[in-house]
Amino acid sequence: MSGGEHAGYAVLLAAAAATFVWRALGAVLVGRVDPEGPVVRWFTLTSYALLAALVVRLVALPTGSLAGIPLAIRLAAVAVTLGVWWLSRRNVLAAVLSGSACIVAAALWLAGG
Amino acid sequence: MPEVDTRSAAIAGLRTAAGVPLLLVSGGMAGFGALAHDIGFAAWEAVMAPVVVWALPAQVVAAELHAAGADLVAIALAAALTSMRFFPMAVALLPTFRAGGLLSRLLQAHLMSATSWAFVMRPSAPRDPRERLAFHTAFTLTCIAAAALAAFAGWLGAAALPKPLALGLLFMNAAFFMVLLAESRNRQVLLAVALGVVLCPPIHAVLPEASMLLAGVLGGTGAFLFGDRLRSGS
Repeated sequence: MSGGEHAGYAVLLAAAAATFVWRALGAVLVGRVDPEGPVVRWFTLTSYALLAALVVRLVALPTGSLAGIPLAIRLAAVAVTLGVWWLSRRNVLAAVLSGSACIVAAALWLAGG
Repeated sequence: MPEVDTRSAAIAGLRTAAGVPLLLVSGGMAGFGALAHDIGFAAWEAVMAPVVVWALPAQVVAAELHAAGADLVAIALAAALTSMRFFPMAVALLPTFRAGGLLSRLLQAHLMSATSWAFVMRPSAPRDPRERLAFHTAFTLTCIAAAALAAFAGWLGAAALPKPLALGLLFMNAAFFMVLLAESRNRQVLLAVALGVVLCPPIHAVLPEASMLLAGVLGGTGAFLFGDRLRSGS
């Protein structure tokens, strides 16, 4: 999978500037905004929804090598990740490693069969 | 009043980071490194990402959209939307350091991450503002150093490991974020997450390049409006 039309460092600088803007705004406006106010709440909710959409894209509509793994297996890996997270009393590492292990196992099986 | 000991506080910050936080950061950044390789980033670009961006969602969004052929404005916009959380985090965290100059506040705001925020806000972190500053600086620098190494390891892994293992590394990005989202207890946040998940595929069918951005803004706004009604109704 090759990248888009821009150089990698330009993409990184765009992401870095876009992230630093918020950090700097917080550093400048300290003490002058209400962290619990409606504007901040909308920002928080929107970033969560966007992160959720990112997960959907990474799992269901992948652009890279993961597209070689069938959708059903990718969805099964999601179920395993969340299931292990729940059963292990919210152990993040156990959940992430189990989900990834599913993908590894499926890829080995696909390559072998 | 006890004497201020910034050196011990810095060592405590380093020690606190060198446990679960380091494993989490390394896992996430190794996944990013693998993704960076998958989309054609050079090794040095993968390593620089956690240093200059230092926000895993923004890094993954940027890489993902770059691979999809999006232009820089769309990439910056989407990265900005995932990074908005740093604004309220900085507003809450920085006053606890009482760091005088703007430069010092900007530096701490850049070093801050969701993990460092959670750890320095815990009751077990130092109380004195100067000790807190030392604790946070040591904690975050340790995490960033590990993140850069892990990104490099992930990039190498994607390049050199057998394909199945490389695919497992790639999946770690999605796995980390879904657990992060599942961890939220707030109902309004869960509604935003659900709306983002439900809205993304249909929007993607019509406008593939803008699906993440639109699902985020519509989902967030929907949860904001509907959640407000829920709150006023109860």
